[in-house]
Amino acid sequence: MRRRPGDKSIVATVATWTVVLATIFPLLWMAITSIKPQSELFRIPPAFLPESVTLEHYRTLLEDTPFLTYFGHSLVIATSTTLLVLVLGVLGAYSLVRFSYPGRERLALLVLFTYLLPSVVLVLPLYLMMVKVGVANTLFSLVIAYTTFSLPYALWLLRAFMAGTPEDLEWAALVDGASRLGAFVDIVLPQMLPGIISTAVFTFIVGWNEYFYALVLVNSDSARPLTTGVMNMLITSFNIEWSLLMAAAVMMSLPLIVIFVFLQSYLTRGFAASGIKG
Amino acid sequence: MTSAVLGNVASPRRFSLQRHYALLGMLLIAPTILIFCAVIVYPLITAIYLSLFSIYTPTLQGDWVGLENFRTMFGSPEFWFTLWTNIIWTVGTLTLQLLFGIGTALLLNQNIWFRSLARSLILFPYFVSTVVAVLVWRWMFNDVYGILNHALLAAHVVSMPVDWLGQMPNAMASIIVIGAWKYSPFVVIAVLARLQTIPQQLYEAATIDGAGVWGRFWDVTLPQLRDVLVVIVLLRTIWDFKEFDLIYLLTGGGPVTSTQTLPILVYKQAFGLNAMGTASTYAIGMLLVLLTFMLLYLARVGRGKESA
Repeated sequence: MRRRPGDKSIVATVATWTVVLATIFPLLWMAITSIKPQSELFRIPPAFLPESVTLEHYRTLLEDTPFLTYFGHSLVIATSTTLLVLVLGVLGAYSLVRFSYPGRERLALLVLFTYLLPSVVLVLPLYLMMVKVGVANTLFSLVIAYTTFSLPYALWLLRAFMAGTPEDLEWAALVDGASRLGAFVDIVLPQMLPGIISTAVFTFIVGWNEYFYALVLVNSDSARPLTTGVMNMLITSFNIEWSLLMAAAVMMSLPLIVIFVFLQSYLTRGFAASGIKG
Repeated sequence: MTSAVLGNVASPRRFSLQRHYALLGMLLIAPTILIFCAVIVYPLITAIYLSLFSIYTPTLQGDWVGLENFRTMFGSPEFWFTLWTNIIWTVGTLTLQLLFGIGTALLLNQNIWFRSLARSLILFPYFVSTVVAVLVWRWMFNDVYGILNHALLAAHVVSMPVDWLGQMPNAMASIIVIGAWKYSPFVVIAVLARLQTIPQQLYEAATIDGAGVWGRFWDVTLPQLRDVLVVIVLLRTIWDFKEFDLIYLLTGGGPVTSTQTLPILVYKQAFGLNAMGTASTYAIGMLLVLLTFMLLYLARVGRGKESA
């Protein structure tokens, strides 16, 4: 009955993969629908695999809809938010972990508190603020809005990563006569690199996926990101073209797929450092 | 951890360095604090302030009404009904997330073929945009061409296509299930990480004592998971309670107001009924409910720091 540690269980494999495949089935179905010709889409009963594969929906999506514009907006917003939050977050986390001054611990808890604040509470004042300052309906307004949840999160994550790196090397450099900022650039930043990449990946994904602020703060195509843009395609279309929408959903998930393929370990690492462990 | 160890044996030089650098430390955090105040603290205070006004959204003109909005809110049946709906959604989806999440984590902890691939695939629903999730599920739930109705019709489970999102109780059940699909990977990762640290000897000892599979789960696994489960429940309660995107995009709070949660009510008040003051009042009311869980979580994290 007792198995050697290296042995793999067939029963457990089948059971687990059934669950995994059932879980990702909706996403498989999305990909399959996006490459089915329109004629096969409304066949009753539907066939699982397409008889012929077409990229026609992708062509329509890229050529006849504002999808690429939205895609560009999302790219700009998510990238800007990530950069802004990283610069502030790395300096802030460095300060919170390696310096001592009054109120430091309380500040760290305040960061966590703001991380849990619902967007619904902040969105109305932010909306008023954007209108008053005159930046409503711009990409910039969304970068600012996304900072409200990204910055606390990044700060908390980076703080956890920073606390996990040994400070001996940094002290050694200081003793050897390096300046504090010199040691920061030469020692701390390289040590922190995995944490920084993890945080960047998380911030980017959250910014890329954000819907609520975009819904409230932007109501023109000149600044609309993918999330609200694609939903608009669904709502405003007279005849819902599901294959087109599925193609949009696949395209929208492209950055995510890239991240999963190339940066998977950073994703898992970020999870371990985030709020779960505290 | 490291800093605590070093702190105990710190040389006088190190202390003087730290004192010297305190100013630099505050300087480094200053931009963050500034932005925090501008985009979080100031809006938060404004939100409370707004809740004391009656404001017409298109013109943003308003009058001071004091606590009148709060009196109206607590006297309004819609508020209590929405709060109740919000609780049903949160408890329902969280329960499913926990059951499915823990179960899947236990499976993924087994020694199976292609384990790391399975572990990364299971994360996809969590990281995919809510908009993507909603589009896919609405397509699968489509009454005429959706694959779910076809499968059920073919299996003779139902005799007519089911309206999954347009009638009750289907709509509530649907959003709860889709919420569980989307968010249980969070539970999977957190539980899986903890499972991997449970010492194998505990299971061996339990086996020697005659414990079966269930006995080992109840007596070894579950007690070991207790701490991480408390944190998961607190965090997910907060996040599920304030969920807007998923529900709004699936049902819009409907049919009528059957799946309307507090965030949707706030949005409708502000931009549907153009009552921004009342909307702020609802938002603050929601924050008050959430505050209990937020403080519990903060207390837990704060306590963890001291014992570490």
